[in-house]
Amino acid sequence: MATTQGTYPLERITNLARKVEQYREILLSNLVLVGEIPAPSGQEEERINFILEKFLQLGLENCATDEIGNAVAILPGSKRKHSILLTAHVDVPFEITANHTYTLEENKVWGIGVADNSLGVATLLSLPIFLKKLNITLENDLILLGAVKSLEQSNQEGLKFFLANTQKKPHCALLLEGSPLGRLNFRSMSTFGGQITCQINRRLSEASAIEMICQIIQSLKTLPLAEEEHTVLTLGSIEGGASYKYPARSCNLKFQIRSNSDQTIKNLIQKIYQILDNISQHPGLSVHLKTIATSIAGGLNSSHPLVLKARNIQEKLDITPQDNIYSPVISPFVEHNIPALCLGLTNADNLHYLDEYIEIEPCSKGLAQLIGLLLLIDKEIDLCRT
Amino acid sequence: MQNINNWLQTNTFHHSQFEDLKRLVEAKEKQNLTISVCIPTLNEEKTIGKEIVIFRSELMEQYPLIDELAVIDSGSTDRTLEVAASFGADVYLSAEILPRWGFKRGKGENLWKAIYQLKGDIIVYVDADIKNIHPRFVYGLVAPLIFRPEIKYVKAFYDRPLALSDQIRPSGGGRVTEILIRPLFSLFFPELTALIQPLSGEYAVRREVLESIPFPIGYGVETSHLIDVYSDWGLEALAQTDLDKRVHRHQSTRDLGKMAFGILRVFFKRLKEKGMLECLPELSYYLRQFQVKKDTYEQIVYEIFEEERPPMLQVPEYREKMGLNPL
Repeated sequence: MATTQGTYPLERITNLARKVEQYREILLSNLVLVGEIPAPSGQEEERINFILEKFLQLGLENCATDEIGNAVAILPGSKRKHSILLTAHVDVPFEITANHTYTLEENKVWGIGVADNSLGVATLLSLPIFLKKLNITLENDLILLGAVKSLEQSNQEGLKFFLANTQKKPHCALLLEGSPLGRLNFRSMSTFGGQITCQINRRLSEASAIEMICQIIQSLKTLPLAEEEHTVLTLGSIEGGASYKYPARSCNLKFQIRSNSDQTIKNLIQKIYQILDNISQHPGLSVHLKTIATSIAGGLNSSHPLVLKARNIQEKLDITPQDNIYSPVISPFVEHNIPALCLGLTNADNLHYLDEYIEIEPCSKGLAQLIGLLLLIDKEIDLCRT
Repeated sequence: MQNINNWLQTNTFHHSQFEDLKRLVEAKEKQNLTISVCIPTLNEEKTIGKEIVIFRSELMEQYPLIDELAVIDSGSTDRTLEVAASFGADVYLSAEILPRWGFKRGKGENLWKAIYQLKGDIIVYVDADIKNIHPRFVYGLVAPLIFRPEIKYVKAFYDRPLALSDQIRPSGGGRVTEILIRPLFSLFFPELTALIQPLSGEYAVRREVLESIPFPIGYGVETSHLIDVYSDWGLEALAQTDLDKRVHRHQSTRDLGKMAFGILRVFFKRLKEKGMLECLPELSYYLRQFQVKKDTYEQIVYEIFEEERPPMLQVPEYREKMGLNPL
């Protein structure tokens, strides 16, 4: 399939899934090899070394790690006018000591982090081989980035570092997530994820820190949340105390507020500080608010050509689109004014649990979607900047 | 002793020496060699899928090192065969190969029938229960055969020590190796003690060797291979490769007992065939074990005198003390 001349016809994309299916062992092999290497946020070195080895084997250019530990390489295009960034986060929300053994069944792959995000990384590693097998040469450079320190408190530190420091600013970006197929995020909401910690000084008070957190929750529930800006408060997790017999000495609450408006989030954070100031008048109580993660609002509009093309491809491949257009992963690109889409590659379940799995069969559609979109972007790259 | 140390230097490898797969494939093609991988199975549905996928992708699709990837099954009752076939392995039932010879249940049976069924000049045997499977389990074993024509049989060993520290630590095989095989080899075939894990289930062998040696069906197959290859071709025909870590099922002591029994049967059969039972050689005083210092393996030799005292009734002083008649 020669594809370097002219616009890539949308009709051909339906054939891509069938063609990609022939080479699924390449994806599955990379999935197992990379997924069985533990990579909690901040401890991704071994996984990054594996990725770099693979990049080198593939003969890519500029294979390197940057100062923060990201793995980067370039698949050179034939004209090299612009560059497209393809990225997947390499960290998983599991400790090194967890059992990382993967199991392949005829239709499923089981293993921790298989969907989030070993499949994304495996796709990053397999794509250059697929392009070669399909005789596809892009005109523009493709930057492949395995990003570290993405999850939870890491707050996409690796990706942010790359975007802030790269000498080769990408014209647009595609982010790979294992699931769900049909995912298409192109906007980020303004978000603030925080942790409120209450601590009681036992010399001054016999109160329970859990009761204090409950009072804070009551106050948080009174915050004005503007519906028109889709402002939402989520109480995510709570933990505290050491025994059922004694009043808890410490307790913490993790929460998130999100909205379409950065200003609304700023105002809400101020109000939360006021709530905490009020409650900390209680003798012997100290209250702290720590930022877990933030993102800013922005991204592409639904009518942007990149979004429309992605929707067209999903339709051609009979992929059911997911409703949610927002994801915080878009936020770092908003900061740098780079158009970005986040794609899901297959169906999965039990994410972040020990029985996490992905379905194998839909992967070929997920890959065809990616390759098709890359081809369309490559041919009409100026549309990205519309 | 000197021979063992030389052999450790020249015929012991680490898989990382061969990770340039492009070069390895070029060398293989230059010699017109063909390589078959045989995975003997019995109810391995949990691990067989990824083993097939990784070998096919890395060593067939991307680097054409393997020419044939086959599963030879002893009659699995789970979905081993379906899973292996769905990922593209050639799947054979051991019972259907060489039917005139009947079917015996045991790993050695599958390995033996693989010689008939598979086409390669080199056959690599890899167990199916490896949880941390990696292409090195194949390329680490075939590479010495490709680069060194005089080597005929390459055995895997595992559990590479921490190379970063200066610590010395014991290195060796599992419980059966350390308690049974190494003492037996020390007594009867001292040079074979150089094999760090003589019972490992992964090895690559030239066809000319495989077709010339008998195959015990059960636990003794690895032990017999080493004795037979050593006897016919010498220590120089053997080599071993460090494949780092291998994660697999833990076996109960009861199972190890069965294994030890099978090995002892095979071992004494070999001694008998070589006339060593009727005319026992002088039993050595030296037990040869291994320790690891930095990256190198060195042999440590213990001189163990198992001297014996006579029954006390034969000791004159005792008889006298107890008022017994002198002998």
